[in-house]
Amino acid sequence: MRNLYSLPKKVEFCSKCVYSNQLPSSIPEYLHKPSREGAKYINFRKNLKGENICSACDVAELKKNINWKKREKELLKLLNKHRRKNGEYDCVVPGSGGKDSVYASHILKYKYGMNPLTVTWPPILYTDYGYENYKNWIEIGGFDNIAFKQNGHVIKLLTRLSIENLLHPFQSFILGQKNIGAKIAAKYKIPLVFYGESDAEYNNPISEFGSTRDHKYWFSNKSDKYYLAGLPISELINKYKLKYSDLKPYLPIEKKEIKGIDIQVNYLGYFLKWVPQEAYYYSVEHTNFKPRPFRTQGTYSKYSGVDDKIDDLHFYTTYIKFGLGRATYDAAQEIRNKHITRDEGLKLVSKFDGEFPDKYLDDVLDHIGLKKDKFIKLLDKFRSPHLWKKEGKNWQLRHRVFD
Amino acid sequence: MIRIIPKLDIKNENLVKGVNLEGLRVLGDPDYFAESYYESGADEIIYHDVVASLYERNIDLSLIEKASKKTFVPLIVGGGITNLSQVEKILKSGADRVFINTAGINNQKFIKKVISQFGASTVVVSIEVVKKKKNYFCRKDFGREETNLELIEWCKKLETMGVVELIVTSIDKDGTGEGFDLDIARQLNKHVKIDYILNGGFSKLEHFTDVLNICKPSGFAIGSALHYSILKHKIGSQKHDGNFEFLKKKTQFNNFKKISINDIKKFLIKKKNIKFRN
Amino acid sequence: MKPTVTIIDYGMGNLFSIKCALDKVGLKSLITKDISKIRNSEAIILPGVGAFPDAIKKLRYLKLDKVIIDLYSRKKIIFGICLGMQLLFEKSYEGKISKGLGILKGKVVKFQTNKNFKKSFNVGWKKIQIIKNQKNKGFLNAKDNYMYFIHSFHVKPGNEQIITSKSSFNGLNFVSSVNEENVYGFQFHPEKSSKSGLNIYKCLKNIIYEKSLQLTKKSRVL
Repeated sequence: MRNLYSLPKKVEFCSKCVYSNQLPSSIPEYLHKPSREGAKYINFRKNLKGENICSACDVAELKKNINWKKREKELLKLLNKHRRKNGEYDCVVPGSGGKDSVYASHILKYKYGMNPLTVTWPPILYTDYGYENYKNWIEIGGFDNIAFKQNGHVIKLLTRLSIENLLHPFQSFILGQKNIGAKIAAKYKIPLVFYGESDAEYNNPISEFGSTRDHKYWFSNKSDKYYLAGLPISELINKYKLKYSDLKPYLPIEKKEIKGIDIQVNYLGYFLKWVPQEAYYYSVEHTNFKPRPFRTQGTYSKYSGVDDKIDDLHFYTTYIKFGLGRATYDAAQEIRNKHITRDEGLKLVSKFDGEFPDKYLDDVLDHIGLKKDKFIKLLDKFRSPHLWKKEGKNWQLRHRVFD
Repeated sequence: MIRIIPKLDIKNENLVKGVNLEGLRVLGDPDYFAESYYESGADEIIYHDVVASLYERNIDLSLIEKASKKTFVPLIVGGGITNLSQVEKILKSGADRVFINTAGINNQKFIKKVISQFGASTVVVSIEVVKKKKNYFCRKDFGREETNLELIEWCKKLETMGVVELIVTSIDKDGTGEGFDLDIARQLNKHVKIDYILNGGFSKLEHFTDVLNICKPSGFAIGSALHYSILKHKIGSQKHDGNFEFLKKKTQFNNFKKISINDIKKFLIKKKNIKFRN
Repeated sequence: MKPTVTIIDYGMGNLFSIKCALDKVGLKSLITKDISKIRNSEAIILPGVGAFPDAIKKLRYLKLDKVIIDLYSRKKIIFGICLGMQLLFEKSYEGKISKGLGILKGKVVKFQTNKNFKKSFNVGWKKIQIIKNQKNKGFLNAKDNYMYFIHSFHVKPGNEQIITSKSSFNGLNFVSSVNEENVYGFQFHPEKSSKSGLNIYKCLKNIIYEKSLQLTKKSRVL
């Protein structure tokens, strides 16, 4: 059976969590080609018993032995170096008012005495409760915030094209979210940027579980090799009558922009133990954070990733492309945090994974100008034969973690 | 008299407590809390298995038996009850009443069956609602699934079915300490004739004043305010996984200040002239 | 070791809760329908939750009706709780008119409703008024005035002298507990009435102890 995007031919599951080996590692989105050339997938190894263990579970094991007091000391050292008492901002915290950015910004400001400038690359389509949470973050939490509202024509176009070419509705969000911290830091000459958790905790190789984000995600010199929405930049500009300036917000920062400033993009999750559910309680307490008033489609929880209507669609497309939906991601994280057992995780995945996101689909498609029937046809184009089989009218995954 | 009813949300063998019915932060051993509440004058105790409908499994009966050995006030138990055999087992383990939510919305006949087999006073119907514009809509599966069933519409239907008591939870207020939902109180007072227990949002004594100016519930169910007051930051023997981070880190949750059942009863006797036992 | 108290298991009643209460006050008990075990115990508890006709039918089927009546004639200590108390009387008007055990004179009737009092179930903590001059042996303490009720029928004893407490519902004063010689009946649930209720089981323990002391004295004399 053919396997698209150089996905591993044989589907295997981690014996500790619910990930499969089809899980993609993060790659810089501006190098993302339709063939997923150069793409890597999560590392699996076999333990002494011959069982599969994914790298995210290995990282979770490492996390157990971390001396968090020591890590906090490292953080204090770093913060002491940068803390400004003259009223100037001393760190940049990108976020949208979700539980992670609330926790990061609030703890830096109120526990560690920093003066963060919060920076928002807004969701493509705010949910109303997501927008309330964003406002409350700023108004109740008490932060200065710069929000970069994107050119509407461009973001809609790029989002539509990234669905058509990559089945990746989230790319335009990810691109900006990953580079805005550094860009604002450069403009305001604030060398310190803090994101929340490291990607390593989810899907990147262990070597990337350091305190800083690899600069390849937000800085590049390879402008001639850029791809956006699955197309080379030059083709995008010519075919869709865009300007280079239209695309700049989605591209990584350039060398000349960071001249003279030694920008350091950090993961706060390296220094402080990150427990997503506790970040939820923290943001409830400090900024009146409200979860989604109903279960998120495709999973079992209500407090994670609830500000963008496109979020649900994003996870549906990961289900189509990799056989991994939102319940898988959420359950895997909770299993590693020892909040639920693997059996409970299996139950959740079997119940909710791959649920069709009809709640906001129409809103999203209308917003970006993509017809629903065209979208439905697209889905099938991206199903890898080695993952999917058709039973009558319905598509079925060949391998499911709970079978 | 108005009953003061501590509500214990349970996952496996742990007492858990969320906000807006989300989050399963472990606060300790249900036994410890139940016994404390009984000793300090709780009029009734609720045990709610909050993941029974999620994992499609039954509440651990041994927990109910343990509660029966230490508490001698009525025990109401619920969470994922979908058939008569479960009801029977739960009552045999020491519970006095059961509460039903999702199964009743899915199949009204089930409520009638339980009433007919076990008696109307044995059943409490639990209603968990979310505010949408000016109305309140019922949720199934512990706040997860939406319905178009409106609060008062459902209450009135239940009255005709012979239900004698409800427990009405404001999901928006649950675990926030912001106070009871006063619009729910107004609606219930205006339209509902059967008894109802109010649940969700309590943290300060003034919250009672606000509610009692509007309606007269048969009881108040209280969770976070009491649990955070008496919890101990220690972890016993852990049989199952769970979010023990709060206990491990010895954090505080400052939405709630210390308050006891005694404080509550004293206040209600003094300010609202409510009579209590002993 | 023989149990001090048997809790009669005829398939209806909150047996486990009663046993827990007895454990709490240090009374050995057994939940059973075994006739010989019931006969051999110092005291019997007749529990009951549900409908009278069902209950009496089940007791008869298990032949426990005859056993209880016999034990009454032998002056065994008998505790009837809630429906269990109602069963001790002559008849009930719940459903079809059913004959009870007839140990106590009187009948069991439904609470009346009217436009002022619409509820037919008396559920919750209610105040009881202790009838003075009753030999209730400290079961009911002046301080403990709230008990937990959950019923829609109440008893009307033929002999008012056996009434030890009353309560009120729907504007009516009804009988909440009775005592005639060795027979004690409680409409409320002592095992669910907190410390006031546990006190009743404590007193049961005392009278069992007293009784066995008397027996020991008698046997010594003999």
